[in-house]
Amino acid sequence: MSEDRFETLLGPYVLGELTEEEARELERHLEDCRTCRNDLDGLRSADGMLRSAAAGPPPELKDWVLARARNERRHSTGGRWRVWVPVAAALLVVALSSFGVIRALTGPSSDALALTATGAAPQAGGELRGEQIGDNLKVELDAWGLPKPDDRGYYEMWYASADGERISCGTFTVQPDGSATVSMSAPGSSVAYPEIEVTREPDDGDPGSSGNVVLKGSIRDL
Amino acid sequence: MAGWGFSRNLQDMGDEDLVVLMADGDERALSELYDRYSRPVYATGLRLLGDKQLAEELVQDAFTSVWRNAASFDQSRASFATWLYRIARNRATDMDRRRRVRPRPAGEHGLYAIAGGPRPEEAVDAWDVAAALSTIPSQYRQVLEMAYFEDLSQREISRRTGIPLGTIKSRTTAALKRFRQAIANPVPKEARGE
Repeated sequence: MSEDRFETLLGPYVLGELTEEEARELERHLEDCRTCRNDLDGLRSADGMLRSAAAGPPPELKDWVLARARNERRHSTGGRWRVWVPVAAALLVVALSSFGVIRALTGPSSDALALTATGAAPQAGGELRGEQIGDNLKVELDAWGLPKPDDRGYYEMWYASADGERISCGTFTVQPDGSATVSMSAPGSSVAYPEIEVTREPDDGDPGSSGNVVLKGSIRDL
Repeated sequence: MAGWGFSRNLQDMGDEDLVVLMADGDERALSELYDRYSRPVYATGLRLLGDKQLAEELVQDAFTSVWRNAASFDQSRASFATWLYRIARNRATDMDRRRRVRPRPAGEHGLYAIAGGPRPEEAVDAWDVAAALSTIPSQYRQVLEMAYFEDLSQREISRRTGIPLGTIKSRTTAALKRFRQAIANPVPKEARGE
């Protein structure tokens, strides 16, 4: 084996990817080659840094981030959503996150999940239904009796955990009579957020929940 | 990460050029930047907040903010990595403040007080790695991302990319060398506002 060939094997050697025979041959070469030993030290250092940085968020989080960006772009390009939604009912394509919800909404007992009003919108009500389509989940929210949001405000549906953490499912506006039908299509993922909330949101640029809950429900009630 | 054949041109672009595309509403640019930097943001969340769910929320919020504010990014003032780091750190501080006003289960610690964990300042290590990776040519970066972040063997990388195994092996060695050179010249600390 040539010097160049030994040098190119250093990376796979660090990764433990050489055959036993290749590794033995390289190790014999390393005993006599200071240059390759120095290179190997450098590559091991790089290997350690890369391994230490390898932990990342769950893959499905990227779908959520991209879906939210898509959703926001539609919202910020303005009129299209704000006019279209009330007239033709909303169709948002966003990412959802909860196998628990998927199972609860599409499983054998696929009754609709009733959402109940809070004091912030006592006349409001809603129902949530789900349908498994391939690997994705289609969820439809029917809501009524919602007050018209303030200027540029909107509604947002969330999955919430018991300790109050929330994942946004998507945003929507309502028709003049306070009703909305929102369809959401999403890949399944694994985080269990059993509580459902619909909040009224000001257009203040804050991606977090306003906490102004108008409808709520729990898949535990199914 | 994006697949091997995904938008080759975007993968060859620098971070700051991707932000310009993002400001024009190009989701692929956001996707590419997410692939490059979601790990350090997540690592920052884990280290500063000590909670996986909060770290995930931090990733969501930080990239949503980046998407929303791309047009205001000024690369004459800071690199993208610096800008994102500040956003993530500020957001983590906000999240910790919000958490402090709620009752917390016993054993849940606040910002800067993660028992047994590294000091928060050390979280920037993951940023150094991401920033260094973003500066090396994409054919090298992708080999490293597949090997380290997707845990693919050299043979699996060869199969996925259609590149001969021998080439993948030599490219891995070259990529590690390139990465090491890049990390030896990191973004200056002062540029991070530290």
